[in-house]
Amino acid sequence: MEYGFQQLVLLNSADYQRAELPLDDSVSLIAPNNTGKTSLINALQFLLIIDRRRMDFGAHEFDKTRRFYFPSNSSYILMEVSLPQSGTVVLGCVGKGVSHDYEYFAYQGGLITEDFRQEDGSLVTQPRLITHLAQKNRTLFRYNATEFRDLIYGGRRTRNSHEPDFTVFRLEHNSDAQPFQQVLTRTLRLDKLSSTDVKSYLLQIFKRDLPDANIDFKQEWDKAFAEVNAERAQFLAAKNQLNAINKLAEQVEARLVLRGKLIAWCPKINNALAQWQQHYQQEEEQIQIQLSKLQEEQKRQFTKGQELAGQRVMLDQALTELKNKSQQQEELDNQFALVSSRETLEAALNSAQQKLDHQTTLIGQSHNRSASLIQRDITNRKQALQQLQRQKESLADNLYLQLSKHLPPEQLERLNRALSAQVMTLRPEQFKLNTDTLKSLLEETDTLKLPGLELSLSALTAQHQQLGRQALEEQITDNQQQLQSLQEQLETAQQHDQAKIKKHQLEKEKRTCEEALKQYDILLKLRANQATRADETGTTESALKNVCEQLAQSGQLAQALTDRINQQHLALQHLVNKHKIIDRIKNRRTDTDPQFSYLADMKHHPWLAEPEWPLEQLAQQLETYQTNCKTLLEYNQQIELTLSQLHSSGLTKYQYSETADIELAAIINFSQQLDKEEEALDKKARSAVINVTASLHELRSGLHAFQGKMREFNRLISHRRLSDLKIFKIEAQDETQLVEAIDMLIDTAKGIDSGDTFELFNHGSILDNEQLERAKQLLIDEGNARQGLKIADLFRLVFIVAKNEQQPESFQEIDSAASNGTVLMAKLVTGLAMLHLMQDKRHKTRAICYLDEALALDRHNQKSLIITAQEFGFALIFASPSPLTTARYCVPIHQTNGKNNISKTSWQLLEDLDEDSP
Amino acid sequence: MNHFTSTLNQLDKLALLFKELSNGKHINRTGDASLWVALEHDKTLYQSLFKALGFELRFDERGFAWFHTDEISSNISKTSRQLALLFMVIFDTQADAGKPLIHFSDWIVDRTLLSQAFEKHQTLLIAENLDIDALLLLLESAARLGFTQQSRGHWQLLPAVCRYLDHFESLANQQRKDEVQLADTETKEIKE
Ligand SMILES: Nc1ncnc2c1ncn2[C@@H]1O[C@H](COP(=O)(O)OP(=O)(O)OP(=O)(O)O)[C@@H](O)[C@H]1O
Ligand SMILES: [Mg+2]
Repeated sequence: MEYGFQQLVLLNSADYQRAELPLDDSVSLIAPNNTGKTSLINALQFLLIIDRRRMDFGAHEFDKTRRFYFPSNSSYILMEVSLPQSGTVVLGCVGKGVSHDYEYFAYQGGLITEDFRQEDGSLVTQPRLITHLAQKNRTLFRYNATEFRDLIYGGRRTRNSHEPDFTVFRLEHNSDAQPFQQVLTRTLRLDKLSSTDVKSYLLQIFKRDLPDANIDFKQEWDKAFAEVNAERAQFLAAKNQLNAINKLAEQVEARLVLRGKLIAWCPKINNALAQWQQHYQQEEEQIQIQLSKLQEEQKRQFTKGQELAGQRVMLDQALTELKNKSQQQEELDNQFALVSSRETLEAALNSAQQKLDHQTTLIGQSHNRSASLIQRDITNRKQALQQLQRQKESLADNLYLQLSKHLPPEQLERLNRALSAQVMTLRPEQFKLNTDTLKSLLEETDTLKLPGLELSLSALTAQHQQLGRQALEEQITDNQQQLQSLQEQLETAQQHDQAKIKKHQLEKEKRTCEEALKQYDILLKLRANQATRADETGTTESALKNVCEQLAQSGQLAQALTDRINQQHLALQHLVNKHKIIDRIKNRRTDTDPQFSYLADMKHHPWLAEPEWPLEQLAQQLETYQTNCKTLLEYNQQIELTLSQLHSSGLTKYQYSETADIELAAIINFSQQLDKEEEALDKKARSAVINVTASLHELRSGLHAFQGKMREFNRLISHRRLSDLKIFKIEAQDETQLVEAIDMLIDTAKGIDSGDTFELFNHGSILDNEQLERAKQLLIDEGNARQGLKIADLFRLVFIVAKNEQQPESFQEIDSAASNGTVLMAKLVTGLAMLHLMQDKRHKTRAICYLDEALALDRHNQKSLIITAQEFGFALIFASPSPLTTARYCVPIHQTNGKNNISKTSWQLLEDLDEDSP
Repeated sequence: MNHFTSTLNQLDKLALLFKELSNGKHINRTGDASLWVALEHDKTLYQSLFKALGFELRFDERGFAWFHTDEISSNISKTSRQLALLFMVIFDTQADAGKPLIHFSDWIVDRTLLSQAFEKHQTLLIAENLDIDALLLLLESAARLGFTQQSRGHWQLLPAVCRYLDHFESLANQQRKDEVQLADTETKEIKE
């Protein structure tokens, strides 16, 4: 008897009241559609696949399926297997009841359906199963799903001493359990096998024989070239920036020099600055002293100058006076040119005196009043005469007379004091009198009250005296006589005035003579002094000349002094300016930047000693120092800028140096070694290519190994004849582009290995090669898209089919390779071959495989398939609505009480029809 | 979530693929690696899905996929006629230069190559109103259809160009056959 599956029994499961199906040889399961053929075979999944995630019930969901297969706690799926190590065993699965859950069990012994029935014929329930079977001398072991799977696939480590070994499938390698189960699942539905499945199963089957190569090409490439690329980038950056670096080098050099200078200068400057204040004060004092001396001198000089100027004025005057006298003498000489002596003049004077004396006597005899006085007397006399005449005319009646009639005498007296004589002598037609009113006005003594005017009368005297006619006529005659006498006096007085005028003329003549004499005396005196005056003029002139010379000299002296004072002022100005400069710089020193404090610790060129400079030069030196400090800061800035430009242009190689100085030196050094660098890079690039291709090598050899395995596999399936197919094989064909890309990289690496030189940056160099770049890019893209490159990515499976008399054709999809029946055959053969590959050939346990729609196969193929399956260790179960006579068993499904039923008794054993087989 | 939508969600490249493909683009293994891998991974799913939408997704084992339409042959658009011309002159030029046509994806297609091609086929190209710049523009349209791609400053032909190459070869075969037939009939005629 062969080891392997013996029979399958379903009790109260999948709509079967009972199903007993032989598994030890080919079976033709017969029932109309939708009866339960597939579901019967699918029941095996609970026992063989176990992991519910892997089970496949087509469109039926698992919850429904579970209810379908385990409607109660007396639902059973049972399988009898004969094992080489433990004999016949039963593997089973029993429902747990309402939850439609189930559990596994196994026991040693044959599968007898009646063992699961109680005496009353009903099925044993799950809780009672152990005790029930114990009564039948069966020791039952219970398992959960995981344990059960380990149990039958030989993965169970520990086992109780009395627990039998239930391993059904002995695999060559335990690691195959998963693909084995997967393929096994498929064997229940091999018709659904797709090319993708085949590929993945084959890969899993051959996995062990293949290198475990899954390379992330990009990562590999990046890893291999990381250093080269990084260094290359640095190299190129340096090369591109060579000009900038050269300029930088100059600046760095200049800065080193400048640093040295400033280090040397700083203490000198500080020292000088410390001394400066004192120096400045001393200098200033000196100049001030000098200045005040000079200014005093200047003052003295000024006074002297003024004195001289005074002298000059005096001398000038004296000289003018002398000249005037000479001129006067000249004039007088002219005037008296005709006068020969003084006596002439004296005689003239005497004559004038005598004439005057005569006239004076004449006038002295007539000492009358003057003509003008007399004229005035005449006028007065005429007026008095007129008054008297008027009084005489009004003598008959006038105001005074009227008043005296009407007024009391005292009142009249009062009024006469106030009114003039002329008023009192007015004629009656010349006035109007109201006595009463007048009286009231005159009531008061000493006062006259007029409307609007009040006069005091006390100081006034009586104005009018009423004369009588006689008196009047006497007075008039008197006045007329007096007027006659006055007229005669006036004539005499007028003759006297003529004489007086002549006297005046004579007096004038006398004075002229006296004057001439006086002038002449002066002339005489001038003539007497002429010689002395000439002398005097000489001395005065020479004195003046002397004074003028002195004045000129003193002017020059003053100018010189002013110049000297100006010089001193200038010097002072200069000093102050310096001080200001120093002061300004001192308060705004550029070297306060912290870096100046550790300048000496920084890299620098020593400054050669230079001659000391005097303190006076401090301002200038300080300015130079200041400028140098600024320049240093500018260098710093420029260098920093260039450096950051270099960084951003990619030259970052030395960015993390300890100090910037070190980095700069390194960069400059690097830029000077670019040729050597290029060589080194070339070498590195070669080894990078070799490194990267090592992993590609592995991939490719994996591909070759797989292709080798496929050839083996093809041998396995090729001696099966599938209908009219002359050739049926599965080939792993290269994914040409990928494989070519890999080959190209590998070949390039070989080229490098064998010593072909390449220049890194010339055309055709390894990194710039267009073909190579494309190959690399392709591998990178593919690697990215597939999360790394695997051997599986390097090939595609094609099914090569050749019918008799025809050229082989290749198909990517097995379904399109041939007719339905042939494809079914091909799939079965492929699937069985795969399972066969995995099984341990030393422990052959026959399993089953299932073929739905078996009628698609012709008898010949059915037969051929049964034999092939047998050779691979499988019993074939065909499912079809009508019987296949090629199978060993014919098993119809009966229906009783609406339930499916297959009883052992209905199995039909067919004779072997060997005459058909080749 | 039902089975169908969960499947759709799984196809995260679906929208992009459909957009590209329905615009007439060829998805190439080279150049569209991620789209290609997606197609390859769920090949049958995509095929059935697109079929339901009325498109036939075809795969060529040389590494490209496209939506097949029958109209193309009957009603060739101006662009595809010009593209055919472009590829024809390129192939012809390269063949004359002794380059194996099968390695067309390695060629560097740039102004230089186009100038050579233009020189050779001047009359033909001028008749189609094509100068060198127009050819370069055409390469851009070809890129949109997945026949070319720009790489490192020049153009590269993608596997999909095989469709044109196949066409040219079948035409050439046809011609040869015709010639043979013609020759045969001629000899026959002579014999008779
Ligand atoms: N996993 C399942 N869960 C629930 N019901 C199921 C399951 N599998 C099958 N059935 C039901 O069992 C019945 C029989 O189906 P099955 O597929 O076994 O028929 P069949 O005999 O194989 O038919 P065909 O000849 O058409 O293949 C059907 O009504 C089906 O709905
Ligand atoms: Mg079925």
